[in-house]
Amino acid sequence: MATKLLLIDDETASTSLLAFSLKSDGYEVLTAASGEEGLEIFDRELPDIVITDIRMPGMDGIEVLKKIKERPHPAEVIIITGHGDIENAIDSLKYGASDFINKPVRAENLALALQRAENKLDLQAKLDAYTKDLEQEVETVTHELRMQSNFLEKLIKTSEEGIVATDRIFNVIIYNPAAEHILGYPAKEILHRKKAKDLFSQELMRKYQAKRHDYQKRKKLDHFETHLKNSDGQLVPVRFTGVFLYEEGRIMGSVAFLEDLREIKRLEKEVLMSERLATVGQTVAGMAHGVKNILHGFKGGSYLMEVGFKKNDTEKLKSGWQMIQKNIAHTSELVMDLLTYSKDRNVEYVPCEPNDIAAEVCEALTDTATEHNVRLAEEPDPAIGRVAMDKTSIHTILMNLVSNAVDACILDDIPGKSYAVTVKTLLEEKNMIRFEVVDNGTGMDKEVQDKMFTSFFSTKGHRGTGLGLLVTRKLIEDHDGTIDVFSEVGKGTTFIVKLPFEELKT
Amino acid sequence: MGKKVLVVDDDPDVRLFSQAVLEENGYTPVMAKNGEEGEELIRKEAPDLIILDVLMPRESGIRLYRNMKTNKNFKNIPIVILSGIAEKSFLRSQKVLTEFGGDPVPDPEAYLEKPVDGEELADTIKKILG
Repeated sequence: MATKLLLIDDETASTSLLAFSLKSDGYEVLTAASGEEGLEIFDRELPDIVITDIRMPGMDGIEVLKKIKERPHPAEVIIITGHGDIENAIDSLKYGASDFINKPVRAENLALALQRAENKLDLQAKLDAYTKDLEQEVETVTHELRMQSNFLEKLIKTSEEGIVATDRIFNVIIYNPAAEHILGYPAKEILHRKKAKDLFSQELMRKYQAKRHDYQKRKKLDHFETHLKNSDGQLVPVRFTGVFLYEEGRIMGSVAFLEDLREIKRLEKEVLMSERLATVGQTVAGMAHGVKNILHGFKGGSYLMEVGFKKNDTEKLKSGWQMIQKNIAHTSELVMDLLTYSKDRNVEYVPCEPNDIAAEVCEALTDTATEHNVRLAEEPDPAIGRVAMDKTSIHTILMNLVSNAVDACILDDIPGKSYAVTVKTLLEEKNMIRFEVVDNGTGMDKEVQDKMFTSFFSTKGHRGTGLGLLVTRKLIEDHDGTIDVFSEVGKGTTFIVKLPFEELKT
Repeated sequence: MGKKVLVVDDDPDVRLFSQAVLEENGYTPVMAKNGEEGEELIRKEAPDLIILDVLMPRESGIRLYRNMKTNKNFKNIPIVILSGIAEKSFLRSQKVLTEFGGDPVPDPEAYLEKPVDGEELADTIKKILG
């Protein structure tokens, strides 16, 4: 496209001559006879270069120059000055003219000035384009950066996990609302004011540090469950994931992710409790059988007593009374079991001698055992002395297991077979006592073993409530212990219970 | 001598109760403490009526009932079930056994669900034995 020129001169004769010569040089030429007309054309045609005479009636060349330079359209202005008008020429340069030429205008001077103006325009255009590109680029990058940092910030802020990040010297630089919620300290107290060690225990920090080399090797995050002390001094259960951040082999900071486990722990406890209550519900339905038997026993007992009174038969009175007593015992056992099972009871560590508890239980059951020709033996470990354990729980656990063992022998009832139940205690490492209850009674098949810890399952017909082992297991679990069973039909059963104890402080 | 009634129950107290009721009402009681012993005594003593529990070790009442009611020599001996198990559970168990390829068996002459009064037990027996 041809360069567009605007010639402004009140002397139209010289203008048309100049226009003619410039046109022939390949320019597109516009002409104006006054400054005012020139500006009008300028605004309409937006020429690239303006050549204006300095002396004109009305608006002079300097004024035209100033006005054009105020316009947003960039144009180069060449001033034509009269001979010796050097002062005005310098003025015009001050106002942004690209060049000036003297009158009379000589072709080579004009060509040179035009050449320079064109170069300047070209350069300006390039610079403009470049600046524009650069600005565009800067804007795009800034926008992206802002988006990214916004995104990251929102990500961190809305994370359900607590995030605590530090710089290379462990100053906390990120501490999100979830972390605030877990640890209790407001962000303004922590950010850039505290170090990681102010939030995490020494032990945790050590563990965290120890992991760092592991991580470099394995590139895998390790997490573990732990407790963090919050602002109230309470221990909050969390799943802790820690990692060190490296840049070109140098540590640049660290991040800890904290998953709040309070809700989960609470739910777990709730689920356990409701499961237990549901079991009690099932048991109550299933227990109807046991209750019916107990009631039938009461009716039987009172019938026998009635007959005894009527006929003055002491024998009948006695057996009726015994029957009633037995069923009272059954009833209280059943109710106590139900209560033990459904209640959320705390384990109470009290000083006691486990061997003595085993002996008490055996003594209580000796009569029943002897009556049915079952030998009841104890094998206490003399190394066990006085320790702290939940005495009541142990008593109930052993009572259930030993009476089960005796029942297993009574039920078996093979003539000529000699039955024995042995209760053993054994001191194990790590503050554990192992209780063993061994019998050579009926034994249990796989099916019974699978079902024995579930609710209301009894193999004992009229005697069982189906709650004994449930209660036993609950007490053992509450005491952080374990129960195992080994059984074979016809050979007998061994129950192994392991319970932790605490040393007594002397 | 009164009519002979066999009591099959693993619970000694229930046996004692039934025995007293039978004696008070002029019957001759015979006692068995499980299904096996019960079948043996049925063959040996030929009772006029059987009072049968359902849940017992060593052959349950469900099995004994079936064996008796499908045996031409014994199927006419009336049986009174006395159990903590609900009647419909017992009947369902018999139905299931029939479906699994057994002969159909008639319903028991009477079904008493524990707890039962002495009088109720006596009346039931009287009604059947006359």
